[in-house]
Amino acid sequence: MSKDYAYDAIIIGAGPAGIACAYTLAKNGKSTLVIERGNTPGSKNVTGGRLYTYALDMVDEGLAAEAALERKVTHEQIIILDGNRSISIDYHDPSFNSECKSPQSYTILRAVFDEWFANKAVELGATVACGIKVDGLIEKNGQVVGVVAGEDNIYAGIVIAADGVNSLIAQKAGLISDIKPHAVGVGVKEVILLPSVTIESRFNLKKDEGASCLMLGCTEGIHGGGFLYTNRESISLGCVFVVDELAGHGRQVHDIFQELKMHPTIYPLIEGGETVEYGAHLVSEAGYREFPKKPYKDGLLVIGDSAGFVISTGYSLRGIDLAMVSGIAAARAIIAEKDPVRVGPVYMNELEKNLLMPTMKAVDGYYDILEIPRIYSSYPKLAAGLFEKLFTVDGKVPRSMKKEIRGLIKQNGLSAWQLIKDGFRGVKSI
Amino acid sequence: MAKIIACYKWVTDEADIRINSEGSIDFSKAKGKISDYDKNAIEAAMQAAQSIGASAVALTFGTAKAKLSLKDALTRGPAESFWVCSESAEKADGAATAKVLAEAVKKIGDYRLIICAEGASDTYARQVGPRIAARLDLPCITSVRGFEIQGDVITATRKLDNRTEVVKAGLPALISVLPEVNEAPIPGLKAVLDAGKKRSTEFKLQDIGLTDADVAPRTEVRDFKAYIMNRKNIIISADTNADKVKELVANLRKDGVI
Ligand SMILES: Cc1cc2nc3c(=O)[nH]c(=O)nc-3n(C[C@H](O)[C@H](O)[C@H](O)COP(=O)(O)OP(=O)(O)OC[C@H]3O[C@@H](n4cnc5c(N)ncnc54)[C@H](O)[C@@H]3O)c2cc1C
Repeated sequence: MSKDYAYDAIIIGAGPAGIACAYTLAKNGKSTLVIERGNTPGSKNVTGGRLYTYALDMVDEGLAAEAALERKVTHEQIIILDGNRSISIDYHDPSFNSECKSPQSYTILRAVFDEWFANKAVELGATVACGIKVDGLIEKNGQVVGVVAGEDNIYAGIVIAADGVNSLIAQKAGLISDIKPHAVGVGVKEVILLPSVTIESRFNLKKDEGASCLMLGCTEGIHGGGFLYTNRESISLGCVFVVDELAGHGRQVHDIFQELKMHPTIYPLIEGGETVEYGAHLVSEAGYREFPKKPYKDGLLVIGDSAGFVISTGYSLRGIDLAMVSGIAAARAIIAEKDPVRVGPVYMNELEKNLLMPTMKAVDGYYDILEIPRIYSSYPKLAAGLFEKLFTVDGKVPRSMKKEIRGLIKQNGLSAWQLIKDGFRGVKSI
Repeated sequence: MAKIIACYKWVTDEADIRINSEGSIDFSKAKGKISDYDKNAIEAAMQAAQSIGASAVALTFGTAKAKLSLKDALTRGPAESFWVCSESAEKADGAATAKVLAEAVKKIGDYRLIICAEGASDTYARQVGPRIAARLDLPCITSVRGFEIQGDVITATRKLDNRTEVVKAGLPALISVLPEVNEAPIPGLKAVLDAGKKRSTEFKLQDIGLTDADVAPRTEVRDFKAYIMNRKNIIISADTNADKVKELVANLRKDGVI
């Protein structure tokens, strides 16, 4: 009894990229089908997560105010770990994120957020079909004209690949190559339940306030880091490791992560909590330098993680907001340009106009710093050692700090020259 | 066209149920789903409808929350769905549920076969099917693991303890099926899209001639508690795999399992 279906646009994947695109298209009267392989939007997704809310307001003015969010981030923390020691930096500004200014970021739980967001697009007329995996694209004379899912072929004026990192769709279309082990990280994460009052007292938060915390030195020297976000009644704690370094390391991700959980600085934060969710997911670590030459071809646009729109600077991780912004750019291009063969360049233009490409370019230097292996082990050690000396009072004559530092540099297998070189590289890169 | 009616229940997804340390059960985060066994009942209705050229329809009795089930049910193939919506479904026992479903079946009319699952995946009380049959004065075959319809006769294989039994009945009839009756397929994309275009009819109790008093349950659930099974907590810690196997076998022998 099946009829033949045809849509203005088919979007593969109901993550933030796909939904932002669907929302914008549906709002502008385009018949839009989103196909999601999870049983509900968000059910397959793992994220830190924090969402920078400007992106939601870019999708639609006022959307952030009604979104399914957890806590507004008022505490930005960085923790440097070495063995059992740690150095914590907590940037707190009570006016930051205050009522009159729109809070700039919120912690989120993706299963809740993605479902809310998808429903918003459905309210505007988009169709979201869940529990369906897209297996491939239908091409006619080199132009993408539809998708194949199981035994069904569905056609559309344009297809948008929003299927996330390691996009099989973009690979099948020949736009990106197979995943490169140095350009992706594997992230593991647990959601740990705790009463909201406990979270507020442990992190020094007022009601609705939240903390975002990134950790360095918890990956056994592997390029990567940890993260912790406070939700209303749970904590998201996780760790990311770059795949190629992990492969040669010999230890299991899970074991290293367990050690992080048991670290004397971290354990008191999660003590007594119950782990209700464990997830693992890839995350792009490549930035602009690995960006595909052409995130489009005739009849196909690639958005979000599928195209590599992720920024990781070491002190922040942005993917959800960029996914949305790229989804909006694709939708605007489709609305402005009817011809599926000409829409690609218009999309690129929109990415420039809404500042996504300039942003990717501007922070590309951070990847040079993040490639310095020393920042994942020797430098955290050096920093912890420095603080140890600084705070040690034992009645003896203190050695000069200069000498102490020299000693520590040597002790950690570093040289002053290396330090200067890395410092220079750091300053140049940012 | 004559109808084959598949009855299903919208239940709490057990995967989302949390058991607190003191044994109480937390349903607050749980979502709903079509009872797993009812997916087989719906598929059985689809296959039966195809074999005799009837139209399969889906029927449920549920609270407002069950609205979410309609699209899912239709995705599995039925041509239309019927939903008796009443908050009394929350506390309804087998008798009350059967009363409602029987009246809804009458209202739908022109049916050849009613298919229920043997039991719901939450309560597994196995009452609703036989009770509907009794109310409608229909032949009833339970524990069905396979069936065939020829003309006006249904021939079903029932699964008993350690044997099977083949039973015949004239149509219209009611059968309650076991999950092994078929493999419920995962719906495809077009099936999902088709579902959005199908008709769903909502009945209130009064539409089927019932009042709240009619569906008051006579059995009442007083308490839910987690059942905690005591584990033996034996850790096999021998050094080599061969020794581990030896120790495992020794333990199983000791318990008389092997
Ligand atoms: C551990 C970790 C922590 C992170 N922390 C943060 C953070 O705090 N803040 C932040 O901004 N970003 C963070 N990110 C990055 C962020 O999660 C991603 O950038 C973002 O989810 C990308 O959105 P997307 O819509 O492009 O892809 P996704 O969210 O991955 O969505 C893709 C969707 O497509 C579906 N899909 C895939 N293939 C198919 C198919 N063939 N057919 C149908 N459906 C398909 C998937 O099921 C999925 O729902 C983190 C990532 C990880 C792994």
